[in-house]
Amino acid sequence: MEGVSYARMPRVKIRELKDDYAKFELRDTDASIANALRRVMIAEVPTIAIDLVEIEVNSSVLNDEFIAHRLGLIPLTSERAMSMRFSRDCDACDGDGQCEFCSVEFHLRVKCMTDQTLDVSSKDLYSSDHSVVPVDFSDPSNHESSDNRGIIIVKLRRGQELRLRAIARKGIGKDHAKWSPAATVTFMYEPEIHINEDLMETLTLEEKREWVDSSPTRVFEIDPVTQQCSLLNYGFGYALFSAFIGNAIVNSVHNSKLLSLSSSRIISRTNSKEWCLTFIVMVVDAEAYTYDDEVLKKAEAMGKPGLVEIIARQDSFIFTVESTGAIKASQLVLNAIEILKQKLDAVRLSEDTVEADDQFGELGAHMRGG
Amino acid sequence: MNAPDRYERFVVPEGTKKVSYERDTKIINAASFTIEREEHTIGNILRMQLHRDPNVLFAGYKLPHPLQYKIIVRIHTTSQSSPMQAYNQSINDLDREFDHLKNAFEVKCVFLLFFEQYICKFYDIIITGLLVYLGILLNIE
Ligand SMILES: [Zn+2]
Repeated sequence: MEGVSYARMPRVKIRELKDDYAKFELRDTDASIANALRRVMIAEVPTIAIDLVEIEVNSSVLNDEFIAHRLGLIPLTSERAMSMRFSRDCDACDGDGQCEFCSVEFHLRVKCMTDQTLDVSSKDLYSSDHSVVPVDFSDPSNHESSDNRGIIIVKLRRGQELRLRAIARKGIGKDHAKWSPAATVTFMYEPEIHINEDLMETLTLEEKREWVDSSPTRVFEIDPVTQQCSLLNYGFGYALFSAFIGNAIVNSVHNSKLLSLSSSRIISRTNSKEWCLTFIVMVVDAEAYTYDDEVLKKAEAMGKPGLVEIIARQDSFIFTVESTGAIKASQLVLNAIEILKQKLDAVRLSEDTVEADDQFGELGAHMRGG
Repeated sequence: MNAPDRYERFVVPEGTKKVSYERDTKIINAASFTIEREEHTIGNILRMQLHRDPNVLFAGYKLPHPLQYKIIVRIHTTSQSSPMQAYNQSINDLDREFDHLKNAFEVKCVFLLFFEQYICKFYDIIITGLLVYLGILLNIE
């Protein structure tokens, strides 16, 4: 009983990592794990967002609840969120939700005094906690950029004023989307594409081109390849022409018969050597494939079923994670794993349930035995 | 107006058990686990992990109703095991998998960050060196 384990050891490869973006491969696990990760990143990793707004003065064109809603949607830096308390189970303020353990206070006071429209933005929010502030999307390498003015909340004209107090709290996306740290989280099955070379060679260049173009995304490409070929196979007297690598332009004197046949294999003889130009269909970007089946349908329509085989690997996933800026993308993934672990821990059977069943089991055995 | 509070979906009400266990009355080694305030995230990973256990004959979960915030996991095992044993084992195995995953991801992150910083510093040194060299060249002339 002890020692037996059916646990897997998944592998991770990070392809790209930026503050608000991550792309990584997840291997040796199954879709349930990948999907659980995705779901948790979107709906259960906590962040901090404005949850309560007390408006003192609002003479702007937007009504109070409209502004409160907009304030709620502003992403706030939430590195603290994992260690913070939810207001509902904070005992320091008896569910009041206004103490330092479970909330952050913000103030905003803006009045337009000129004839020019005044933009009230997230930059005008003053936080009581320097670690919880509206996210800054400005480019850190560009110091003197004046085009960064934060997220606009409302615009004021002369005489209009906005004055309020806001309380930000910890929450999760399941409660309200404003607490979701994820802009997008997606995963795809890694495609494995096998071209049937023999069948492909039965296609003319025109047919190959048509087939390659049938894919809505650029998955395949035709590549002209020149290679020296054996005189035994191609030792017949074909016409001369020059072949250019990298482009399928064949621009010298060539056999018009060959061209009209649109053969993908053309032979030239230069310096008494035999060369053949082959137009090979290659997979240039397997991940660009969207599982749309278009190339499969096309192959079928051309009377060449089995021209290509596309398999979705059931144990390999490619994740794309985009964060709102509330937490770093890498932290989002790590927090999601942590949350999943906590959730699993919460669904463990309690001692008393196990004990109750042990007694029941003995009783049951008695009854069955007797 | 009479809509349930949003937190009802994920906060276990006081006096309610998170997990309750019920043996099947007709089949031995079959049982249902009712998990309060959980849904597909937990239900599906548990189910798939249970399928990896050769002693599990059946494992499935259902979300009975979108407004009943609970899932029911049903397990049927061979006589070599028991639903409770299989259930506990699956949680332990998943926990280990996530532990491993967390480590793997952290290591790769740190490695990537270190590499990036190293390259950046190196880049700075090259640029500074080049500027100094250029300055010397100009001065000489
Ligand atoms: Zn509190």
